[in-house]
Amino acid sequence: MTGMCTLLALFTTGIALTGPQRLVLMLPLCLSIAVVYKTTRCELLRQVPLAALSLWVTIVIGMCAVGVALWVLFEFMI
Amino acid sequence: MTNSSDLAVFRAPVAGFLAWLVPGLGHFFLGHRGRGLVFLVTITATFWSGVAIGGVRATVDPQDRALWFVAQLCTGANTAVAFAMSRTLTATSQPGPKEPSKYVPPYWVSAEVGVHYTGVAGLLNLLVVLDAIALAELAGASARKQRLRAT
Repeated sequence: MTGMCTLLALFTTGIALTGPQRLVLMLPLCLSIAVVYKTTRCELLRQVPLAALSLWVTIVIGMCAVGVALWVLFEFMI
Repeated sequence: MTNSSDLAVFRAPVAGFLAWLVPGLGHFFLGHRGRGLVFLVTITATFWSGVAIGGVRATVDPQDRALWFVAQLCTGANTAVAFAMSRTLTATSQPGPKEPSKYVPPYWVSAEVGVHYTGVAGLLNLLVVLDAIALAELAGASARKQRLRAT
């Protein structure tokens, strides 16, 4: 019963996220997007891990590039 | 009397409905068990990670986050369970004299992250539903071709 209550308490209140550490949370989200997308696209299931890893790296690098570009643009505009 | 080709017409809608209800169940139904397991684990883990990060009341909120709730609904049973949890918590926590009646999440950043996780999980399951329907249609089309060749 105590274990069940502890498990439920995990989902009732959000965790405290402060500072730039929250950006790290995009990594697992991008990984799940890459895994699901590549699982629908690959003909053989054993091709999925490598393809998903490749897509994950591409997404993360692409998002970092967009972030840096927007930051540079913002710095020039101010 | 119904034959197998009549029943095959229902494969695509049934696969789509099962895939919506539980992520990956449509692929299990079509015989793609490995893919079904990958979808079940990935989408369910993404959804419930989002709920754990943001808290269920801040994450599954059809009034303040209506469009995100529509995206979350694509995960079927996951959203139903989370919505029931959210309603139960709202009903059991009575606001005090100085507390506002509307729920305000204590950490807005984690609430935003949680909503994004659950919404993306829903949109990924929409992709899985469409994939299950397409697989069922393709299997039906190839079966029809084989029957035509045989006759």
